[in-house]
Amino acid sequence: MLSNYLPILIYLAVATGVGVALLVIGALIGRYFTRYPDDVEKRSAYECGFEAFEDSRRRFDVRYYLVAILFIVFDLEIAFLFPWAVALDAIGSAGLVAMGIFLAILVVGFAYEWKKGALEWD
Amino acid sequence: MLVMILFYAFSAVLIAAALGVITTRNPVYSALCLVLAFFTSACIWILIEAEFLAIVLVLVYVGAVMVLFLFVVMMLDINVEELRSGFTRYAWLGWLTAFVVILELVGVLAARRLGVDATQGTVPVPADYSNTHELGTVLYTQYVYAFELAAVLLLVAIVAAIALTMRRRQGLKVQDISAQVAVRREDRVRLVRIEPEKRP
Repeated sequence: MLSNYLPILIYLAVATGVGVALLVIGALIGRYFTRYPDDVEKRSAYECGFEAFEDSRRRFDVRYYLVAILFIVFDLEIAFLFPWAVALDAIGSAGLVAMGIFLAILVVGFAYEWKKGALEWD
Repeated sequence: MLVMILFYAFSAVLIAAALGVITTRNPVYSALCLVLAFFTSACIWILIEAEFLAIVLVLVYVGAVMVLFLFVVMMLDINVEELRSGFTRYAWLGWLTAFVVILELVGVLAARRLGVDATQGTVPVPADYSNTHELGTVLYTQYVYAFELAAVLLLVAIVAAIALTMRRRQGLKVQDISAQVAVRREDRVRLVRIEPEKRP
């Protein structure tokens, strides 16, 4: 029932309010009570004292994608596990077998990526 | 009444976030707007009492898919000029997609008008009703075939991701710790018995 979620809604409202309030208060104090107004140095990039060498957008190792994609796959797997765990009393052994097959298929993939060395960073 | 107000509030945030996705210049801001759009969609799904799907939306899309998007956006070499040059070339595809989506929206609204509304809105349910439990009882029994197919799809995704992106750098020297631990004295040291020299 929706009224069960009222505390979460209140929490959401309070969290949003606190977040906005902190930003606004910070901006207002920064604007009206600052001792030193804006200058170029204050707004410049600060990276250990010198200018940035290059743009941060550059090509990078494809292995980051691999880790992210493998994470998505196993994230989906646990998403399937939650309703199974909740409904296990109703579906009984048939559900157990169904989830066994599901996990067995995914263990094949897990063994494959382990043996291929996709989990190693080297 | 409160539900209606909340629905319109969340919808307004959702539409604003979706507009932010396509109007902000910086791709990182677009991705973060998309996170907000996903999150407000989850809130709307909570309003129709689909709690599990709402949590999955946050878990999978915000948690995993957006991580991938941010990877792509933040670390890929994005040439804005090149992207902008393709805008007019692919505009017809965008218009076509928008047209189909609008058609589908009109279709949904017209279906309700015709009286073939399958959902009948949301029926109030008791406080101990568990949407997740209902989902689990049909997903692993009635739709078990589709469920196992999902496993196969995920397996294909694993294999494809590894086959496409796995690269081994050649000539890389790595430590094999198990081999180091398992080494025995005989592998490293050879004791040689040397006859003492005879004195002349």
